[in-house]
Amino acid sequence: MFIRKVFYDGMYKCLNISSRAQSSWNIVTGICVERLPVVTPPLNEIQKKFKDYLSAREFENSLKSDHELRQENDLRQAELLKKEGVDVDTEAVSKVTAQDFEDAANEELAKFQFASIETEADRSGDKSTHDRCLQRHLVLVTEQKLGTDIKSLLPQGLWREGETLRQSAERVLVEQCGTKIKVKFLSNAPCGFYKYKYPSEIDGKVGAKVFFYYANYDGGVLEKATNYNWLTRKELKDILPERYNKSVQSFLIQETY
Amino acid sequence: MFPLGLLKQFSRFSIGSIINTQVNTKNINTFAALQFKITDQLWAEPLKKKKKMDPAILKAREERRRKKLEKQIRRLEKNARQLKPIAELEPPLHLLDEKGRRKRAVVVLSAEEIEARALLNKDWCRYKRQEYMNNIAQIDRIMAAQKRALEKLYEESEDLYYEAIMPDLALIPYSIDGTYETPPINNYDSPDGEYIDVSKKWGN
Repeated sequence: MFIRKVFYDGMYKCLNISSRAQSSWNIVTGICVERLPVVTPPLNEIQKKFKDYLSAREFENSLKSDHELRQENDLRQAELLKKEGVDVDTEAVSKVTAQDFEDAANEELAKFQFASIETEADRSGDKSTHDRCLQRHLVLVTEQKLGTDIKSLLPQGLWREGETLRQSAERVLVEQCGTKIKVKFLSNAPCGFYKYKYPSEIDGKVGAKVFFYYANYDGGVLEKATNYNWLTRKELKDILPERYNKSVQSFLIQETY
Repeated sequence: MFPLGLLKQFSRFSIGSIINTQVNTKNINTFAALQFKITDQLWAEPLKKKKKMDPAILKAREERRRKKLEKQIRRLEKNARQLKPIAELEPPLHLLDEKGRRKRAVVVLSAEEIEARALLNKDWCRYKRQEYMNNIAQIDRIMAAQKRALEKLYEESEDLYYEAIMPDLALIPYSIDGTYETPPINNYDSPDGEYIDVSKKWGN
């Protein structure tokens, strides 16, 4: 019984190895470069309601601040001034009141211009910059030549003998996007898988197995790639082939708004 | 010299000639270093004589040093039992005094308002639970995708698989800047404020 087990195990391993030796698939690494949201997503209905409720509770349970005390004091002084005429001490009245301070602070705040969430690229509809849709995740998509036709896919390239898949992913990214783009790979392990067949056999290979690596965009500009886009989830769905899109989205965080 | 001269004097009385009288009496030799000696090197200043101190002063000094050390030890021991005070834990006294003045008028909520708040709390609870379940489902989905990828990689090449499951130590420690309420303003020149360090020094 034991011998039989060993024999079968051995056989199984031999089969496995032989199937590996004559693998008829190309190993390809794809890189999913994602720009994380810069700005927090907008609050939905219930979040807004609950936020208001919490701040109301916060206010009710709080004690008065120094500023509020000062304001009350000012009001009391003004009352006194009205009642008794001019002969209260003018020193306490002529100083800057809390209301004046509040007005000045409000004026300063009104003058300050916050940056707009809608960027230049949003207005012009330019998809080739990462400076768009600040509240959403964006994925880098480049044009890839597959056989004779060109398709918009994640950057991908053939694995070379002697390197790990992670090294291969880093090399491919440098080859296709230049050295100036900074990304942060989050794992040595691939996060997704996709398999496709070539229309006809090429060098004895029937198709390619794509292993996706996930990386976060960390600044810098793209250099070499000519036709690239930073796309939201929805745009990915429109532009990527259906099955490919499914396997890409299977390892991406789904947005809730 | 003398005995040789004497020998010569008495040589005529002797029968045989003295053969051994031919002795060189001159004291010349060829050793060069014999007369010319180099003195020892005396580069260093001769040692000074040690000043004698008054034993009373010495004793006093020693005493002072010991006392200082003892004092330090005592202070350390006292500090060991006593924890550093945290300023935030004790409310400032002037705030305690003004507590009555700082109280807000109690808001009386209507029955509907109380009911609405309770309902909102329940709604929020349900919403957060759903959100949590969705998050768990997403994490499961993403992990499943990675597991599948690793399985496929194992089928393709065992070596690549083992390389892939190695931990990436460059990621530790990991830090990331979060999302913000408003986007950053390009080339914004932040106004300089005054920096006053108010943290207390606690020397041991």
